Amino acid sequence: MKALLATVISLALTTVVIGNAYYQKKQFYPSIVYLTNSNPSMAVMYLQAFILVLLVGKLLRKIFFGQLRPAEFEHLIERSWYAITETCLAFTVFRDDFNPKFIALFTLLLFLKAFHWLAEDRVDYMERSPVIGWLFHVRILTLLLLLANCDFYFIHHAYQFTASKGPSVQLVFGFEYSILIIMIVNILIKYVLHAIDSRWEAPWESKAAVLLYTELAINFLKVLLYIGFVAVMVRIYTLPLFAFRPMYETMRSFKKAYNDVVLSRRAIRNMNTLYPDATPAELAAADNECIICREEMHTGAKKLPCNHIFHAACLRLWFQRQQTCPTCRLNVLRAPVPDTTAAGGAAPAPRAPLAPNAAPAPPPAAGPVPPPFPNMPPPPPMMAWGIPPPPPPRPASLANLTTAELQRMEGNERRNIEARLQLLREIQAMLDASVLLMQQYSTVVANLPQNSTSVSTQTETQIEETRREPEEPVVKSEPDVVPTTSSYKSPSPTPSTSKTFAPSVLDGSSSQMPQTDTPTSIDSNRDKTDADADELRRRRLQKFAMDK
Amino acid sequence: MAGSALRRLMAEYKQLTLNPPEGIIAGPINEENFFEWEALITGPEGTCFEGGIFPAKLVFPPDYPLSPPKMQFICEMFHPNIYADGRVCISILHAPGDDPMGYESSAERWSPVQSVEKILLSVVSMLAEPNDESGANVDAAKMWREDRDQFNKIAERLVRKTLGLPPP
Ligand SMILES: [Zn+2]
Ligand SMILES: [Zn+2]
Repeated sequence: MKALLATVISLALTTVVIGNAYYQKKQFYPSIVYLTNSNPSMAVMYLQAFILVLLVGKLLRKIFFGQLRPAEFEHLIERSWYAITETCLAFTVFRDDFNPKFIALFTLLLFLKAFHWLAEDRVDYMERSPVIGWLFHVRILTLLLLLANCDFYFIHHAYQFTASKGPSVQLVFGFEYSILIIMIVNILIKYVLHAIDSRWEAPWESKAAVLLYTELAINFLKVLLYIGFVAVMVRIYTLPLFAFRPMYETMRSFKKAYNDVVLSRRAIRNMNTLYPDATPAELAAADNECIICREEMHTGAKKLPCNHIFHAACLRLWFQRQQTCPTCRLNVLRAPVPDTTAAGGAAPAPRAPLAPNAAPAPPPAAGPVPPPFPNMPPPPPMMAWGIPPPPPPRPASLANLTTAELQRMEGNERRNIEARLQLLREIQAMLDASVLLMQQYSTVVANLPQNSTSVSTQTETQIEETRREPEEPVVKSEPDVVPTTSSYKSPSPTPSTSKTFAPSVLDGSSSQMPQTDTPTSIDSNRDKTDADADELRRRRLQKFAMDK
Repeated sequence: MAGSALRRLMAEYKQLTLNPPEGIIAGPINEENFFEWEALITGPEGTCFEGGIFPAKLVFPPDYPLSPPKMQFICEMFHPNIYADGRVCISILHAPGDDPMGYESSAERWSPVQSVEKILLSVVSMLAEPNDESGANVDAAKMWREDRDQFNKIAERLVRKTLGLPPP
């Protein structure tokens, strides 16, 4: 309604202005001269031209798109605002060539851009609309063809102009239309992919991968163009501020596309090579339902290191976005530790059925922990020939706990944390005891210099051990060592936790503990594990604070 | 792929119709297009939004459930976590990685495990307990912290408005 009113008013004004000019001058050329020399008349003419452009735009929109969806319209308006601001910025660089032709060219550029955006939105919508008629295909293909032709024409024109008359504002147009032509290529590829996809009954799994690579290639081209354009502009004019926002966005999406490709490739390769297929029993335990697509799983289901099961196809699609377990957010690119703590603490969602022995467990704080000093052997009497005394016992509690108890201990409740603190305190006491022993050793060592080296190294490793012990038994148990297939082919969840954990604690005090065969890998991975542990602790403290 | 998003949305719709959570109604605006839903959310009891019926729109991306939907209230709202135009800002609606506010832990973010039902339940609890750290509506957050009476008054007016009652 408003649009109609504006059209009528501007039409009337134009008629009046032209009529007035003709009435005063009586002839064609003089009236034209009169019109162009009178500012108010020119304003009216500009307004009329603007409204005409809008009308043509509406007509073309009707022809090629029919009714716009509200989302498309909003998107269009939003992008137009950015484009208009950037055009105004561009004007400031080229204020010397400011003339009606210049404005007309920029308007045309905006006009064509708007149709590119609409075409892009419409093609994206193909994925969502259940039925796509032949009209849709005809419209989109004609439009893409027309737009591509326009883009080519203007690029060619800009090239000719620059080649013959030197650099000018045509540089900007040449560049803008090059970006648009890349956009057309992108839209066309998407269109073809969606069209093929909609023909096929079965879901086409590699489509997402193709889209990912297209995205990467297109963004790469765009980044190159932007860099070239900015370089040229800086050499000839000044910094093209108006190109910065789109350039920044392009670079960001290029980086994202690149990361997506690299990380998802790694995650998918892991999935194909490392993760086992889910067995029928495991499928039944998960109700046969894949939580990603909410459909039944029969075959082709994969089990992640965290024991969550999904369709391999669904996982592949998800890994193209994120490399985590959808349920517990375990980062599958990090150490594939059966990390049950992160699972329990983080996932707000109902967890897939877990190990059955997780439920019945007495609170660990209930006091299976004997105070460290009383049950410690008294400092052994120092023999003259210096047999090293038995190493100090480790806190018996940790080793005696069952997996379930350990799990409980890893929980977030206040009393669990208190239990942990208690344990830490006891370990502190153990350390003090070791220091005491060390002092005794040194007195012995003073008497027996030939024995010194072997004794001291052993004690040191023990202290090292004890110190590492308190933090994160579960995380520590098998650090980021790249999973050899043997340790990896059969990760059974909680049982394996106990398996990997228990030996390291029980045998920890003897000198051949399971990890000692890869000492370097432990050291190099310590930092990472520490970072993880820190993260865990921070999260837990947060939870703790919330519980209070 | 289009198929799988559509099938999952249909499954969720069926589930929501069979076992509707209390105080929530949701479904496609028109059954031709399963990617745009409307939801009616009842203000949680015992809060300043009690009794109100708040309509909202959910728009799903073509790769749902890999990406989260967008949610926007289509009635007037005044709440720390709702933008002036009605868009809802809670962590479940953000994919990990994009963090408009900068301090959401990725634990509560979107993942395919979430669902329309969980989103709507989160929104209900957001109505009950605003997170005044998120700056979707700074004025509302400030008022929620400093002038609860005034906030409650505004909420009451909005509740009456959704019910078509004149302001008190
Ligand atoms: Zn699935
Ligand atoms: Zn998991």
